[in-house]
Parts: sequence; C-alpha cells; structure tokens
Amino acid sequence: MQSKTKPILEKKRTGKQRIKIPRQPMPEQDPRRRRANFEEVPKGYSEEVAILEASRCIQCKKPGCVEGCPVNIQIPEFIREIAAGKFLDAQNTLKKYTALPAVCGRVCPQEIQCESRCILGKKGEPVAIGRLERFAADYARKHNNIQKQPSCSHTGKRIAVVGAGPAGITVAGELSNRGHEVVMYEALHLAGGVLMYGIPQFRLPKEIVQYEINMLKNQGVSIHTDYVIGKSETVDQLMKQGFDAVFIGTGAGLPSFLGIEGENAIGVFSANEFLTRANLMRAVEFPRFATSPVIPHRAVTVGGGNVAMDAARTALRLGADSTIIYRRSREEMPARDEEIHHASEEGIVFHLLTNPIRIVTNERHQVTGVECLRMELGEPDTSGRRRPVPVQGSEFTIPADTVIIAIGNKPNPLIPQTTPDIQTSKWGTILTDETTMLTSKPGVFAAGDIVSGAATVISAMGQAKIAANAIHKFLIGETMGM
Amino acid sequence: MSTIKLSIDGQEVEVEQGATVFQAAREAGISIPTICDHKDLSPYGACRMCVVEIEGVRGFPTSCTTPATQGMQVSTRTKRLTDLRNCTLELLFSGHPNSCFACPHREPCETHRPQATKAGRSTRCGFCANREECDLREMVLTSERQELKLPVMYSAYKLERDDPFMDRDYNLCVLCGRCWRICEKIHGEPAISIINRGKWSKISTAFDKSHLESGCNFCGACIDICPTGTLMDRYARWQGKPEHESVSACILCPNGCSVKAENKGGKLLAYTMPGFEAEDRLCALGRFGAAQIVNSTKRLTRPLVREDGDQIPMSWDDALQSVGKGLIARRGTVVVVISATTTREERFIYDRLATALQGHLIVLPFEADCETPKIKELSDSVQQGKVQALITNGPLVSPQILKNVEFSLVIDCLESMASQLATIVLPSAILSEVDGTFKTSSGKIRTLSKSSILPGGARPEWMIICLIAKVLGLNGFDFDRAETITSLIQDDPAPEKFEREPRNNCRDIPIRFRGHLVADFVPGLKAFELPTTLVDEAEDEICNGFALLEKKEIAPNMHLLIIEAPQVARFALPGQFVILMAKETSERSPFTLADWDANAGTISLIIEEVGRSSRELTSLTAGDQLAHVSGPLGLPLSIQEKGTIFLGGGCYGIGAIFPLARILHEAGNRVICMIEAASSHLLYWQQELAEVCDELLIATKDGSGGMHGGIQEGVSSVTEKEHINQCIIIGCTFMMQQVSDLTKTFDIPTLVALNPIMVDGTGMCGACRVSIANQTQFACVDGPFFDGHKVDWEELTLRRNAYAPQEIQALPQGIHLTSCLPTSTLKMGD
Ligand SMILES: Cc1cc2nc3c(=O)[nH]c(=O)nc-3n(C[C@H](O)[C@H](O)[C@H](O)COP(=O)(O)OP(=O)(O)OC[C@H]3O[C@@H](n4cnc5c(N)ncnc54)[C@H](O)[C@@H]3O)c2cc1C
Ligand code: SF4
Ligand code: SF4
Ligand code: SF4
Ligand code: FES
Repeated sequence: MQSKTKPILEKKRTGKQRIKIPRQPMPEQDPRRRRANFEEVPKGYSEEVAILEASRCIQCKKPGCVEGCPVNIQIPEFIREIAAGKFLDAQNTLKKYTALPAVCGRVCPQEIQCESRCILGKKGEPVAIGRLERFAADYARKHNNIQKQPSCSHTGKRIAVVGAGPAGITVAGELSNRGHEVVMYEALHLAGGVLMYGIPQFRLPKEIVQYEINMLKNQGVSIHTDYVIGKSETVDQLMKQGFDAVFIGTGAGLPSFLGIEGENAIGVFSANEFLTRANLMRAVEFPRFATSPVIPHRAVTVGGGNVAMDAARTALRLGADSTIIYRRSREEMPARDEEIHHASEEGIVFHLLTNPIRIVTNERHQVTGVECLRMELGEPDTSGRRRPVPVQGSEFTIPADTVIIAIGNKPNPLIPQTTPDIQTSKWGTILTDETTMLTSKPGVFAAGDIVSGAATVISAMGQAKIAANAIHKFLIGETMGM
Repeated sequence: MSTIKLSIDGQEVEVEQGATVFQAAREAGISIPTICDHKDLSPYGACRMCVVEIEGVRGFPTSCTTPATQGMQVSTRTKRLTDLRNCTLELLFSGHPNSCFACPHREPCETHRPQATKAGRSTRCGFCANREECDLREMVLTSERQELKLPVMYSAYKLERDDPFMDRDYNLCVLCGRCWRICEKIHGEPAISIINRGKWSKISTAFDKSHLESGCNFCGACIDICPTGTLMDRYARWQGKPEHESVSACILCPNGCSVKAENKGGKLLAYTMPGFEAEDRLCALGRFGAAQIVNSTKRLTRPLVREDGDQIPMSWDDALQSVGKGLIARRGTVVVVISATTTREERFIYDRLATALQGHLIVLPFEADCETPKIKELSDSVQQGKVQALITNGPLVSPQILKNVEFSLVIDCLESMASQLATIVLPSAILSEVDGTFKTSSGKIRTLSKSSILPGGARPEWMIICLIAKVLGLNGFDFDRAETITSLIQDDPAPEKFEREPRNNCRDIPIRFRGHLVADFVPGLKAFELPTTLVDEAEDEICNGFALLEKKEIAPNMHLLIIEAPQVARFALPGQFVILMAKETSERSPFTLADWDANAGTISLIIEEVGRSSRELTSLTAGDQLAHVSGPLGLPLSIQEKGTIFLGGGCYGIGAIFPLARILHEAGNRVICMIEAASSHLLYWQQELAEVCDELLIATKDGSGGMHGGIQEGVSSVTEKEHINQCIIIGCTFMMQQVSDLTKTFDIPTLVALNPIMVDGTGMCGACRVSIANQTQFACVDGPFFDGHKVDWEELTLRRNAYAPQEIQALPQGIHLTSCLPTSTLKMGD
C-alpha cells in the first residue's frame, strides 16, 4: 500500500514534483482483525512516509490551514521541520500552540478545520496535517523528549484549576509555564476528563493521556484527583483559601436520555456509562479489573456523533452485532468522517433516518429490542438543515440486548449550583466574556464544554488558551478592572 | 444371602440380613430424616435425627446403627419422634446461623433476593452459597418450625480461605462427621478429624495446619459430601445447583478417571467423583481445574488466518479454504503432531488425514515438552525443508519449528505461543465439550460425553478434520458423529503410563496438558509449586493513597474502617457517601459515611463483605493504603425540626443512621432509633446509638434480642403509642421497601437512602438511575434520600441484580485475594 516514491531528503523539490506526490495513506489495522481487539486503529506514519507527506506542503505565504485551526498552529512551520527531518523541532513548534498534539492529531475533525482550508484540497487532496501532527508528537514521546522548561521565576500567584480535561490541562500547562503555582482538582480518580473516560483506547491510547498528565506533574502542577469541587470546597472557599484565580473546566458530563418508555430497563446505558466502564474502569480487562463489563450480543447505539461511533465500535469489540440508529441522514452526522468510515469498515450497521420510540423489555425488565419509526427529510428548519419527520405507520423493532444512548451530554451543573454568582445560560452553560473567558464572577474563568456545551477537544483547548492568557494578565495585574 | 422381614410404619419390608433399620426403610422408600448418614458411608449415629421407635425396645434408637431383625415393628413418624427430632434439630442449629427459619419475613425475602450475596462469611441462611443444596435447610423447612428456644452460639471461627480451591466456614458445621469419614474411606489416613470437645468441637487438620500442609490431596470429596455450606468449592460455590449431571471422563492425564460432569446452563461447574469409593477419587486438577480450563477467558473462539503478518479473524468457511490451499500445495511434506491426551476417535482421524496427505502422525507422550527427541528430529526436517506443513493440537513443538515451517495449522482450545505463531488457528472443543472414547494408560476404555456448550465458534477436533478433508476433496471422512468413528478403530496403543500418581499426591499433578502449562489456567495450582507463566499481580504501588488507620470486625461480616481522608472529613454532612477503591484495579464502590472527625481528618465506614469490592476493602489491615477515596458525595439529609423522627437501620445501615441520629437529636427532634439484625450477635453500635437518640429499639429476625422481627414490626408498635412525624430508613432494598409499604398505610412521610449500582458517583454516567414517581433521577447526585412511597422498588431491585453473573466471575480464584487473577483475552494496545 505504501507509495513507491523514495523520500528525497535534504533535496529541494520543485513545486511540480511536490504536487505529484499523492497524499500518503495511513497504515491501519485490518478491519477484520481490529473488530476483535482494542489496539489503536491507525498505526501512524513511519519517518519516511511522514517526510514524504510533509514535503507535499507548498508552504503558502498566506496559509489557510492556520486560519482553519482553532488554536492557529503555525502549520507550515512544523510541517517544514518534519520535511527536513527535524522531528523534535516540529514537536516544539506544535507545543507552542497546543498542549496535547498527540491527542489533537488523533481526535480533531481536521476535515472541517485545517485540512478543509489547505490549498491542495482545492484540486486534489489536502496535506494530511492531522497525521503529521500525530507523527511529530509520537516521535517526541517515543524519544522521550522532555521539553526545556522556559526558565521562569515564580510569580507567587496561585491558581486553582477545576476539572482535568483538555481545557484544564491546557490552562494548567500554560500558567505553570509562566511561573504561577497551579493546583488542579479532578473529581474522578484519574486526570484527563473525556480523554480518559470517554474516548476509547483504539482511538486514543490512554498511555498517551497519562504521559501528558505526567508531563504536567513534572512541570510542577499539583493534581488532586478524587476531589469534587462543590462537594468539598466550593469555588468561593477556594478563593478564600488564597487562590488568586479559579479556572473552571468541568466539561459537559451529564448524559441526556431520550425520555422514552423502557429507558431504565436493564441493558440500557448512557454512552458515558458504557464507555466509562470500558475505558476508565478498564472493564475490557475484566476480571483483572473489577468493574463488570457490559457483554452485549446485539447492541443498538442511538446517535450520530463521535460518542455514538465510539460506543458502537466498543460494543462491536466486546463481541456484539453492533447497529447505529440516527434520526437524520449521513450528511448530518456530526461525527468525524474518519470515525464513520472506520465504523462502517468494521461492519457496523447504520439505520439512518430512524428514530427510537420505545425500548421493548421482557418480564425481567431486560431489553429485548428497540421500537423505531422511519423518518424522511422534510422542509429545512431555521438552521437550514432539513428536518426529519416521521413516516406514519413505519414502526419496526430492532432486536437488542444492549441499548446505548449517545444523544449528547449537558454541562455539569455542580459548580453553577454551588456558586450562585456564576451566571449560566438556559442550557446550563457558564456565560463568559469571549475575549477573556471571564465569568460573571471576578477572578473566575471558564472554558471548554462547560462554556460551549459538548463540543470538541480542540475548541476546549482554544478557549482554554484564551483563558490562560487572560488569567496571566489578570494575575500579573495588567488587567485590573476584572 | 438370607433375607429377613420386618414392618416399618405398618409396611412389610424384606431386606438382606445385616442391613440396618435405616437401610431397610430406605429400600422401602420410607424416608427417615438424617444428617450424618450417607449411603456411601458406614453408620455413625452422630446426628440422632434418624431416631425411631421399635416395639419392645426402650427409648429411641438411631435407625442408622440398629440392625434390622426378623419381625421387628418399627415406627418412624410418631408425634414423640417429631418432637424429639425438632429438639435435636434445634440443638444442631444452635451453633449455626438459623435466623432465616424463625424470621417472619422469610418468604417475601426469598423472592426478593433470588441469589446468595457473595459474602465469604455466611451469617444467615440467605447469605449461604449452598442454600439450594443444604440438607439441613431442607429438613428445617419441612419441619415447619418457626420458633427457636435455644440461644444462638455463634463461635465466630475465622474463615479458612488460604488453601487452594476450597473455602471453609466452620461456623456452619453441624459436626455430622461425613467429611472426615469420607476422607478416611478414600485416603486411608484422613487429613481431617474432629478436634476439641464440647462447644469447641470442630473439624480440623492435625495441629490446625493448613490443608496444604496436612496431607490433604484436594480430591474435593468432603465438599461434595458435606450436607451444609461449611465446605465449598471456591470456583463453583456461587453458581448454584447444577442442573445437569452426566458421566464422562477426565483426559487431563492418561489416568482418564471417570467423572461426573456437573453443568448449569450449559456451563461446566465442576468434575466431581462419580461415586464415593476410593477408586472414584480424582486429583485436584480434575476436580477443581477442569472447569477453570473449560471456562477460561483464554479459550480460542474463532478461526484466525494470517494475512500480511497479522492474524485475521475469519469465518469457518474462509478459514477452511485457506487451510485447503495451504495443505494441498504441501502434500507429501505434512506432519501431524498431537498429544497422547486426545480421544481415540480424534487420534484415528488425525492419522487418517496424515496418511491421506502422504505425511505422518507423531503422538507425543502426554506431558512432553519441546525437548522430546521426536520434536528435535522434526526441527531438523523442517530446517531441511522436508517438512513444510505442520498440523498440531497444542503448543507441542518448539517456537522455532513454528517460525521455520512454511505453513502451520494449530487446532487448539487455548491460547498459546503456538496459536500466536500459527499460520492458521482453528478453535476446538475440550473435556466436557467432547464426545468420544479414551484409552487409559491401564488399558481401560472410557467414554466422554458432551455436556457443555462450546464457546463461540469452537468445534470438536474430529469435525474440524472432516471439514478440512472435505475442502481437500479427500474420501473417507464422512462422519457426522464421533460415535461413527469409534467402530473403525482397530489397534490403538494405550498411552504411556504416567509415572506419578496425582490422586495420591497433589504435587504429582501433571504440569502440562497438550503442551499448555495447566497452572496458567488454574491459578490455584501455584500452591503446589506447579510451573506457570502467570506472574503475581505486581501490586501497583499506591502513591498518594489514603491511609487505613484502623480496622475492626465489629460484628461477624461487619467491618469498621477508619480512613485518613481530610478533604472528605472537613466537608462531610450527614447522609453523604464516599466512593472507595481499594486498589487501582478495583471498582468504584459507594459507602455511606458512618462518622467523621474534621479535626483529625478521618472518616469511619461500616463495610459489610458482600462481594469482591467489599472483600478487597475488608481484607486490608491497619497501616495499608487505599488507592482512592472520593467524596463527600450525594446530597446530605436536610435537617429540620420535625417532632418525632423514627430512624431505622439494618446491616450497614446501623452505622449509617448514627450521624443522622446525632444531628437530628441536636436539632431538637425526638429521635427513636431502631436497629435490626438477623440475630443479636450481629448487632453493633448499640451503645453509640443510645447516646445520641432518645430511644433505642432493637429487633432480631430470630427473636434472640429485642423484638422478634424487623424494622417493620418496630414501626407498627411505635405508632400504637405515639405519632411519628418522619421515618428515615437505611438498609437493604427489601427492608426499605417493606417499611415504605407499611408507613404508606400509616401516612408517615418516609425517606429511604437508595443504593443502586454506581460507576462514577458524580452524576456523569446514569448507572444509578432510579424512578421516583415515574421520573428518572440519578441517585448519586439527586439522592441518596428519596421519598420511599414514590420509589419504583421493582425496577431498583432488578437493576441491582443486573451484574450477578459477572460478580461471580470477578471473585478471585488464587489463594491470595489479590494475586493471580487470570488476565483477560481482550488486550488494550501496547
Ligand atoms: C466519547 C466521546 C468522544 C469524543 N470524541 C471527540 C473527538 O473525536 N474529537 C473531539 O474534538 N472531541 C471529541 N469529544 C468531545 C471532547 O472530548 C470534549 O469536547 C472535551 O473533552 C471537552 O474538554 P473539557 O476540558 O471542557 O471537559 P472534560 O473533558 O469533560 O473534562 C472535565 C473534567 O472535569 C471534571 N469535573 C467535573 N466537575 C468537577 C468538579 N466539580 N470538581 C472537579 N472536577 C470536576 C470531570 O470529572 C472531567 O474530568 C468526544 C467526547 C466524548 C464523550
Ligand atoms: S448451610 Fe447455609 S443454607 Fe444451610 S442452613 Fe446453613 S446457612 Fe442456611
Ligand atoms: S464440615 Fe460438613 S461434613 Fe464435615 S462435619 Fe461439618 S457439616 Fe459435616
Ligand atoms: S488423575 Fe486427575 S488429571 Fe488425571 S484423569 Fe484423574 S482427575 Fe484427571
Ligand atoms: S453513578 Fe454515575 S451518575 Fe450516578
């Protein structure tokens, strides 16, 4: 499958030569094999292939990709470094913009961000920016490249970071780099947020997340796990204890259910529960790990986002015939293209334009199926998307012993509930100033899913970066008026 | 031999001379109750349940020791005998948990709690794993006694679970002596006997050594013959009564012992002895290991075919096509290597295949490893290219051969280096999944009959070979059952004799089965120093853990843990809970805060051992660290002045109501606390509670202390005297439901603390959802307190039992709680 073209190191290629190089495919685990294991699906570029792919970049003067990236990574710069074989430099470049390049390279929806703006994509295929980002980060991790710490004197300022997901990790990294003392509080027993409990091993190996967490610790960030802010200290109490600022990155961890009959039956799970058991609690290694795995035989997942793909693919790997039902059509699916592609490659069955109306159960209150209605696309709604409308009399039942509800998560209500002067929207998200991520409470900043509602890793990190800059200014007294 | 005639309950009975009255009755189909008697043991006369009246004989002789004589007139069912037996039964029972029988709520409780709780210590009948098979229980239930006059004397012997394969709780023993008698009968010199006298009589090994050191052979006979739940097979104990038994043979070694395969739902629970005679005995591997091998998580369950370096799971059809291609091209260079512990039919058919492919069959002695000369020879032939294709039914050849040979087909049941290196892997059946015959090393032919369901896509080996032959277009392989092959077998040598005798010494247990190290699949065998590749689970060092300052078993099965957790202690409020993880591999399990000290930074919890997680916690000792303590979680109880508040607690709930009583009392309420337990020796914290409430009431299910009954009875009696403004109940779901149903009729507002299964405990997963007035709520963040009159109890009960089968599987099989859990087949990335 690999290209025959030999990498031309150190030798300048002409623009024409570059354009002739095809986009390098990602070596992947065979779908027939991976449907039975939890190993990562894409195997990563080799050094040669990475250089080859990197040399496709024509180094635009006004790069669209940078604008397409929510954190404006200087993409041509790190790609140029890869092309020149300076992999560690590429990683250092990336690190200036994102705390977690190994994660972003794997889970960002590049096709609607950076890569969608790549000039090569106009006529052919865009540069594989995400794959190159992953390559650089993996290379550095494997070669144990501990970054040089920017020598920075301690400012004597203390900041509490609540929630150790991508938003919290970004803020903690940025601020500790700038000499502030950072204390993180995480409710669960491991830091990482959705990266640990939600996104499965075959998409984002947990070792990568823990490596990044350890980097933070080495950097001097203290991380208190098992610590629920709002149940132990409230945000107010944190402020009283002498924190100069508080950052809230508690995410959107409240699972939504459909509200249909039979939803509390045995065998119906929120995607959060299903994935948390498998990932965070490592039930796939049961019985060494004590948490009971769900052992599905016929799994039906409801939803069309990344979460639904992850749940359905996890169910498949646990041995189930796995089906996804989604209300709208394929075009509307919010999941990354790659995930949908991988899912169907692995043999997951999609029932599109299908809406669940009832969970069918037996006398033991166990799931036996999902009753559904077929939908068709009606008139476009205000968002311009054609609204699905039910087809009368089209009821049918899909047999199932496991139903996974992956229709979204709502913001975590605990902090707003226990901090009355933090204002929230009617959806429960925390209201912030867009340019600083400052909340309605002085000294308290927020970013990530708790602000935007369930979104993406990179948007959480983008917001967190804005917050970190603002907090820094606030701490060193540049912006007093907050 | 001459016979005699006698009359039993008016029925004419004819028996051989020398029979006892008891045997005569049994033959006539008249059942006399007994505990100590067993048809395969000689009469003992210890339990005195089998007493009868005989005309002309004074007193009440035990029928099991009285020889039947000509013309005897025997009565077995008089009123006086029933009374006498009831007294005997009560006496037998005075040292044994018995409250269930006297409990007024037994029937609803049993429908509510279909499975035994996985507690190591049985403190009541409902918690005994042997419930369905207990003779004693059977007998009491038929006697319909609901009253116990004698005080309960719980000896509180410590649980014995440091030996491989067996759990023992001598608190359940009724001293019938069956165990040591069978041990003596089978092994001559019994490993166990009755020690001490009077109240402290007990079954034990000499000098109280472990069974491992005592010369016990781990044949399991005592477990199978014990009428109570005292002696238990650790692996099978929670799986319930076998539904199906069939006679088969163990082929884990060339002894080929006859066995009784016990199955439930198509799953092998154990191989047990087909009878209680010395020659029926099994070795520890056969008795305890077979089921663990058959049910191993390392079973191969789907065909795998190597493509571009990776083994790809495939359908049987595709895999067989690949096998066909691989073999056809290498006709004449094929070698088949199988182990001697293969059925005769399979050996025959492997041989036929080898011949048809112009190759040859090598049968390896059963324990052989890759160092055998035949294998060395084979290695050379592979090197020289004379052998290009290899078929084998286990990791029988060296990895080198598998790497060098062009094409390798491994037909096997368990994962191994061979299955990892093979070109093609086909999953096969083993032991109780197989039909066929086996010639033992002494030349006897034994029949194996299939009794369990094959895992995934596994198939019997003879069938696999026939399928391969079909793909290859070979004739002479049209068999549809193993039986049809049997008659074709003409000369088959008996396997070489096994020099050691595992049934007489457990250190002689075969090391390998078809090349696999048996201890890799049966972790308990490590106790006999059998080699294994299993590594002791290196305990993840717990850094930043939480120190366990104190641990005490304050009542049987109830443990008080005092843990250093300042962040919890500083913020805890009455009614909140914490999530604990003993180790990094533990579950997140919720426990109600029983007390805390903000200044000292400590919290107190009452933990009842009911399964793996609680066992991990209660097995810690002071000075150990817990991996995680997270909390306080949940909404605290809102404290108001209400007037008279009735607080009811059972099991761990006794501890859980303590902080509530204290604060409600301080808030100016009249607080009545009521605690319940199965029996008075299971109560705790009476003193502590009495100090923080206005009135302390006690109820026991057997009437051994306080009121006879439970919280239900307490509520009723209090309402007769005074008005209750609020009830708050903490305990098992069954009790909370019963009390709620009752207070509804009295119109007393009732709060219950619900305990559904939780995962995170922070509102993130919804595992804990409960229906309250038809609205879904998350117990961990919206609770734990809910209006007891609005809870959907049935849903809660069913949801709580959702993982029962997995819980059983999670219980460790090694000797040490922590070590040697089998690792699973599903692997996380590298
Ligand atoms: C299954 C799944 C798959 C996804 N796939 C993708 C993908 O492919 N690409 C993508 O870009 N995005 C994906 N997302 C979305 C992405 O993971 C989130 O947008 C991102 O993690 C949000 O980051 P965050 O830091 O705001 O919140 P989170 O990652 O949710 O982290 C919040 C953390 O705060 C902790 N916390 C909450 N309350 C408290 C408290 N009171 N005290 C202390 N700690 C607290 C939580 O335990 C959690 O660890 C996926 C999400 C899921 C669930
Ligand atoms: S052995 Fe078990 S079931 Fe039988 S009476 Fe004793 S506790 Fe009850
Ligand atoms: S352990 Fe069982 S068989 Fe042995 S004396 Fe006690 S009750 Fe009888
Ligand atoms: S001695 Fe043990 S391993 Fe051998 S056949 Fe008998 S029970 Fe099985
Ligand atoms: S335990 Fe997960 S939401 Fe309650």
